[in-house]
Amino acid sequence: MPWKDGYTISGETSLLDSEVRWPGEQRCCFSITVDLSVASGPEGITEADLASPKTQFGLREGLDRVKDALDRFGLKATFATPAVMARVQAHTLRVLTQEGHEIAAEGFRHEDVSALSREDEAERINLTTSVLSDITGRRPEGWFSLPRQGDKFAGGTISPRTMDLLIDAGYAYFGNGLADDIPHYWVTDAASGRSILTMPYYYHYDDQFFLLFPSKGTGLEHADSLFRNWRAEFDAQYRRGRHFHMTLHPYASGFGHRIRLLETFLQYVSGSPGVWNETASAVIKHWRGLDPAPRLEPSIWRDYPGSLS
Amino acid sequence: MTSVLERELTALTSAARRYDARHRRISRIAWPEGKRMAVNFTADFDAMLLRRLLNEPPMQLAKGEFGGRVGIWRLIALFDSHGIKATIFTPGRIRELYPQALRAAHASGHEIADHMWEHHVPRDMQLELDHLQKTGAALSSIIGRTPVGTRSDHSLSLLKQEGFIYTSHECADHLPYYLSDADNQNEMLNLPFHYAIDDAMFYSFAWLGSGNAAQRITDTDRVFDMWWEAFLQQYHAGGYLNVCLHPFVSGRAQRIDMLDRLITRMKAMPGVWMPTCETVARHCLAVHP
Repeated sequence: MPWKDGYTISGETSLLDSEVRWPGEQRCCFSITVDLSVASGPEGITEADLASPKTQFGLREGLDRVKDALDRFGLKATFATPAVMARVQAHTLRVLTQEGHEIAAEGFRHEDVSALSREDEAERINLTTSVLSDITGRRPEGWFSLPRQGDKFAGGTISPRTMDLLIDAGYAYFGNGLADDIPHYWVTDAASGRSILTMPYYYHYDDQFFLLFPSKGTGLEHADSLFRNWRAEFDAQYRRGRHFHMTLHPYASGFGHRIRLLETFLQYVSGSPGVWNETASAVIKHWRGLDPAPRLEPSIWRDYPGSLS
Repeated sequence: MTSVLERELTALTSAARRYDARHRRISRIAWPEGKRMAVNFTADFDAMLLRRLLNEPPMQLAKGEFGGRVGIWRLIALFDSHGIKATIFTPGRIRELYPQALRAAHASGHEIADHMWEHHVPRDMQLELDHLQKTGAALSSIIGRTPVGTRSDHSLSLLKQEGFIYTSHECADHLPYYLSDADNQNEMLNLPFHYAIDDAMFYSFAWLGSGNAAQRITDTDRVFDMWWEAFLQQYHAGGYLNVCLHPFVSGRAQRIDMLDRLITRMKAMPGVWMPTCETVARHCLAVHP
C-alpha cells in the first residue's frame, strides 16, 4: 500500500478500468443484493420489527413484486438473510435457491456485533451458517452486514474481529465494503496477506435511504432521486466497464410507484448490450481468477509524539 | 433597566464592528486580460484520516479509503482531461498513506497545499507549529518546496511565519478578501468556499457528525443544476467560485461524470479562468494588495 493497520484495509490503488475484465468479454458487471432483514436499528431484528405491517408487506407482497421484476428481466440476485429471517421464510429461501438466486448470511438477527466478545461473535456466525445450510441445503459463501435505517452510519457495522472470524468460518466473501466500487481484498494481516474478498456497496444505490427516510418528517420520499442515482451510476460504470451494484429492500421497493421505477431501471439495464448479471458468489469466483491476491507494499507510516498512531 | 439595555446595545454593536474590522473586502477584482471570472477546483484529500480522528467505525474508514484508492485518481484524470490546474488540500499524513497519488497530482501541475497534519489544529500553539512544520516537510518531499496555501483554522500568525500566502476556509464574501486575526493582525488573503458548493453536503451520509434525522442525500442532477446557477451568477458578476470536492465523495463514478458535464459547460463560456488557488492568490495579492 503503504499499508497502515487501523486506517486502511486494502492496497494503495484500485484496479484501473482497463484491468477490469468480465467473463465472455462482457462490458460491465451488474449485481443486485436483496436485503431480507427487517431490523430497524443496531439491536437487530426485534419482535416489534416482525409484528409490523411494514414487515408483513415486505414478506409477502413486496417480495413477490421484487421477484416478479427480477424474473421479468431474467436477473439473478443475492439475498442477504439473517438466521431469524431464514427460519421465518424457510420455504421462500428454498424457492429462491431453486430459481438460481443466491442465499447469503446476514448475521443472527442482523445485529450490531461491534461490542461482542470474540467467542460470542464466533458462535453467532457458526449458528447462522448452520441455520442457512440446513434450510437451503448448501453452505452460504457470503456474509453481509448491511446498514439499517436506524444506524448512526450508512455503511453497516462489524467488529474488529469480524473479517478474521469469517475467514476462519470458511466464507468466500464479505458482501458490503465501501473502499472500492469493484470487488477488493479486505486485508486482516498485512504481513501474511490474510484477507477476504469484499463486494462493493454504497448507500447511494440502496433504496432504504431514499424511500421515506429519515423516518420522521415531511417530504421524505425521494424515489425519483434514487432512480436518477441508479441510472447515472450505471451509465458511468458501464462506460468504464466496471461494476454497478444496487441494494433493494422488498418492504421499500415493492410498493406502487417505487416498483414501477425499479422496473423502468431494470429494463434500461437489460437493454444495454454486454451487461453481465450474476450472483455475488459468481462474481467473486470470477474475481479470484482475475485478481488472485491483494497488492500491498510495506508501511512507511511512522509514529510521532503528539500525533495519532 | 434602560442603562442595562444601552450597555447591551453598545456591546453588541461593538462585537459586530470588531468582527467587521477583521475583514478587508475587494469590491471588484480585475482578472487577467481576457478573463471575466476565476473558478478554483479544490479537493480536500483526507481519505479516512478525519474518520479515524473522530474514532468512527471500520466501515466509515473504508468509505474514506475509497478516496485514496480510487477517487483521487479519477479527479486527477478529470482535471487533466480538461487542462484544469486544481488545488489538492491534503493532511501531511496522507504522504505516508497515498504518496503515489500525491506525486501524480504534482506531476500533472496541480497545487498540493496544506490541510493540517492529521486534520485537526492542536490548541497548544507549540504543537500547532510542530504540526504545521511536519506537514510542510511531508509535502515538500513531494513538491520540492513548502506549501503556500492552507484550508484550515491554523493561526494566521503561524501561517505567516511559515510562508503561507493564502487560506481557503470560509465565505464572508463571494470574492477573495483579506482576513485578520482577533487582534487585527496577520492579515491574509482568503479564497472563500461556500458549503452549498461542497460535495459532502449533498452526498456524504452523517457529515460532520450529523444525526439520521438530518440526512437528505441527493443525486447529481440536482447538484449540477445548483452549481451551474451559482457559477452563472458569478460569471455575470465577474466574480469567483471555489468548488470544494472530496475524493471519497466526488470520486464516485457518476459524480465524476457530472463534474465532466459541468466543466465542459463552464469552459464553453468565454473568459473562464481555471488555475490553481495559488495562481489566483498571487494575482489578487499583486493587483489588489
